[in-house]
Amino acid sequence: MVLIAIIIGCVIGAIIGINAPIISYTYSSYLAIAIIAALDSVFGGIASVINKNFDLKIFISGFFGNAILAILLTILGQKLNVDIYLAAIVVFVWRMFSNLGIIRRYYVEKWSNKIKEKKIKKTS
Amino acid sequence: MTNKLKISIVLGIMCLALTAGICVQVKTVQSSNSTVSQNYEENNLRAEVLKYKERYDNTIKEIDELDKQLDAKIDEATENNSELEEAQAQIKEGNKIIGLEEVTGPGVIITLSDSQLDPSTVFDPSTLLLHDLDIVSVINELKNTGAEAISINEQRIVSTSSIQCGGAIININGERIGSPFTIKAIGLPESLANIDRTDGYLDLLRSEPYKIGVELKKSNNITIPKYSGVINFKYAKSVE
Repeated sequence: MVLIAIIIGCVIGAIIGINAPIISYTYSSYLAIAIIAALDSVFGGIASVINKNFDLKIFISGFFGNAILAILLTILGQKLNVDIYLAAIVVFVWRMFSNLGIIRRYYVEKWSNKIKEKKIKKTS
Repeated sequence: MTNKLKISIVLGIMCLALTAGICVQVKTVQSSNSTVSQNYEENNLRAEVLKYKERYDNTIKEIDELDKQLDAKIDEATENNSELEEAQAQIKEGNKIIGLEEVTGPGVIITLSDSQLDPSTVFDPSTLLLHDLDIVSVINELKNTGAEAISINEQRIVSTSSIQCGGAIININGERIGSPFTIKAIGLPESLANIDRTDGYLDLLRSEPYKIGVELKKSNNITIPKYSGVINFKYAKSVE
């Protein structure tokens, strides 16, 4: 169910994105960091669905809050001439990997349990 | 179940926004044709240049649009008035001659490119490059063979055009132009092709020790753009 929703969302989003006009090059760096933040939020959402502690309010606020904070940090970094967005990227990618790890562990365990059950059935 | 439905819908919408953003970003990066640079300063400069380029392109588009509107207005105003229509035809004819109108017809396309020889093998490497004077000579010979309209890399040659050395590039009509140079000329192709005669300038460029790349092609369908600048006559007055 969740998987189907994600796939449909991705396909429609890709169609919209391909037909959308390109944005000014000035803002593309902000969009890039917002995309990383949103990607992190989506992975976090999937991981929390698997952990069964998914909270809609936390998820939506995280999605927008993270993206906006990342953009603000990038702007601040440009003003101060410090590449703060690198720190944001490191944190987001780190969290993405840990969330991916949770998802992966869940599905591998599910899969191996099924194989075990089959074996038990065969032997019995 | 309703909870799960809600979760799927929200996740789907988020994925939609995410992929739309990614697609837009990919398109933007592709169109600006930039590679990821480590240097912040360089990135800033590139962004600045792109910003100005964008503004420039937009302005050009605007000018085109306004030109079209002006043409339409003129057509509208001169309708049903034979005198004005005649004047309009005269203006069009004049614009064609001075280079303010796009023209098409038969002619030749000459492509000149810098020599492929190894610069360390010759005494003076600058002889391997195409210079402003080479271009001037070729243009001069083309005019001599009866060219009616000439353009170099889409820059129309008009009566006020200058061809100047600008270091590694050449300035024509104030625009920077680099090798290879594509010179288009409209006229009788057989006559124009005479520029490639023995001991002509193209022959000289092609010969030892320069070995500059010369390619001449006849074509029945050449389009030469109009001069994009403005021709101003401030001091020259007509004699009564």
